[in-house]
Amino acid sequence: MVSTSVRALTYAQAVNEAFHQEFERDPSVILMGEDVAGGAGRSEFEDAWGGVFKLTGGLIGKFGPERVRDTPISENGFVGAAVGAAATGLRPIADLMFVGFVGVCGDQIFNNMSKMHYMFGGKVKLPLTVITSTGAGVGSAAQHSETLYSIFVHFPGLKCVAPSNPYNAKGLHAAAIRDDDPVIVFNNKQLMGGVGGGIHVPEDSYVFPIGKADRPKEGTDITLIGISYTTYQCLKAAEILEQKGFSAEVIDLLSLSPLDEDAVLSSVKKTRNVIIVDEDYPMCSMASELSAIIAEQAFDFLDSPPIRLNAPHASVPYSPVLEAEYIPSPEKIAQAALSILE
Amino acid sequence: MREDSSTIVMGIDVAGAAGKADEGFIDPFGGTFAMTKGLIQEFGTSRVLDTPISETGFVGAGVGAAAAGLRPLVDMMFVGFIGVCGDQIFNNMAKMHYMFGGKVKLPITIQAQTAASGGNAAQHSETLYSIFAHFPGLKCVVPSDPYSAKGLQIAAMKDDDPVVIFQSTRLMGVNFDQHVPEEAYELPIGKSRIVKTGDDVTLIGIGTTTRTCIQAAESLAKQGYQAEVVDLLSVSPIDEETILSSISKTRKVVIVDEDYPKCSVASELSALSAEKAFDLLDAPPVRVTAPHASIPYSSVLEQLHFPSVETVTKACREILG
Repeated sequence: MVSTSVRALTYAQAVNEAFHQEFERDPSVILMGEDVAGGAGRSEFEDAWGGVFKLTGGLIGKFGPERVRDTPISENGFVGAAVGAAATGLRPIADLMFVGFVGVCGDQIFNNMSKMHYMFGGKVKLPLTVITSTGAGVGSAAQHSETLYSIFVHFPGLKCVAPSNPYNAKGLHAAAIRDDDPVIVFNNKQLMGGVGGGIHVPEDSYVFPIGKADRPKEGTDITLIGISYTTYQCLKAAEILEQKGFSAEVIDLLSLSPLDEDAVLSSVKKTRNVIIVDEDYPMCSMASELSAIIAEQAFDFLDSPPIRLNAPHASVPYSPVLEAEYIPSPEKIAQAALSILE
Repeated sequence: MREDSSTIVMGIDVAGAAGKADEGFIDPFGGTFAMTKGLIQEFGTSRVLDTPISETGFVGAGVGAAAAGLRPLVDMMFVGFIGVCGDQIFNNMAKMHYMFGGKVKLPITIQAQTAASGGNAAQHSETLYSIFAHFPGLKCVVPSDPYSAKGLQIAAMKDDDPVVIFQSTRLMGVNFDQHVPEEAYELPIGKSRIVKTGDDVTLIGIGTTTRTCIQAAESLAKQGYQAEVVDLLSVSPIDEETILSSISKTRKVVIVDEDYPKCSVASELSALSAEKAFDLLDAPPVRVTAPHASIPYSSVLEQLHFPSVETVTKACREILG
């Protein structure tokens, strides 16, 4: 492929394109959230923000304030409104700015969104998408830097995806919007800020299937499982390992609930060693779940115990020095791999 | 409350009929499960505060009171109500000690009731300690009988960190036929206990499921197998030493948890067992949990939702041969 054929978008541009295409495709798609346009109610500032990470820019100008609704700081209100709108026939997207804000809309997500389909005996569909941003690394301190997808995955009735690059971000957002069940999309701040760019993003609309993992690098000696941003940490660690003569396979989980057990288990059964790299707190986390599933279902294939590399069981530090130590680094991953392989 | 005048109690119906003392309604509830009965009469309305249905308000008030020097016990009734006070618990209670550089202590105890006790349906029957254990900065304990319930309650209320106590509604009315000393005593937070010794398999129970494990062990004994039962008691921190030393003896482990399975305490225990006792295990760890599904209202389905003596025994037989 010649480089001129690569249509490189940033993660935010790719998601933004998915939103524009889904809004055009289906008039029942609406968007709600704080600053999804920005400058709410003041026409001279219309679309001043387009979302904190510019994911929703341009939508209000094209589709109007009926479908693109700037809300007050009222997560419980607008997430609840989105649940109700979904139950009555619309396809809402609710933007929960930072995932730590789940504390003020947990009832809508955990008690209404995840349970309505079940409690109404399947008579109501909730074609609702919640997007939220996750992760440390940008100096936002303990309350605005969490990852937390693990607690959403804990609840039955929610599909949870964590894209890792502009290509799958565009496809997973489109898939989430078209899905008839509630889907939460976890967007990592560092990816939206540019990490992982430079890949081809088709202009045409497409979906990336929910429930499928990806394998960005094949290898034979050890499986490194990444989630969203940590997929890059795994890919960098794989390069370090390559220089030492070891071949690492990288699995990009992408879908946290449901989990692509086949992709995970078939890789682990091949390489017989596994490291799970997760930026979330370690206890009762995605990494715990993966480690447990691998131990339970691939026990006889493993040459070494599964290893989890998480953030520590500690709040996210504000200090940039400490924050840099917080997320598992490629060096730490490579070191953990070498401790098994050498 | 007698021992420490800074201890206060807050919550919905912790006395009951708030504001209606004039009409003769004093303490008609004493909490949904009558756990706080009699307190308002002995300690008065300034220490026992019946609140409106306002979890974010009174849990937040509890956090503030703890930061300012009191020792609040806050009853949030059913654990599923976390959705309306998650910000206070996850963002304030769990993080304040850290964010203030250790300069503030939060000696607060939250108690929440878990699990289905007969037809409370999907929103009032959850267990959910797993999502609390996920957060650094919270200690989480799950008593399994009257003796551990009293000892852990006192330990939580004397602890200088936030402690969340998960009380299974399915244990509240059970007659345990167990001695509970009248004098005050504490069970250490962070310690599990072996409630039955055995050599063939380790069963780990949490709250209600400890009882299930003990009954399963009795059933296994009749079939010629000796199960060891570990009563977890503390889900954060986890007593790795007790668990791993039991597994190093039995070489097999079955974890029984009535919470949803994904990213759960059962996942954590299974992962820990595999990671830290890999060479000692003769069989992969086994989890017996609720299914990944909301809790049914139908009593027939509700019974099938939770791990039973039969499902635990069957899981054990599969790895014991």
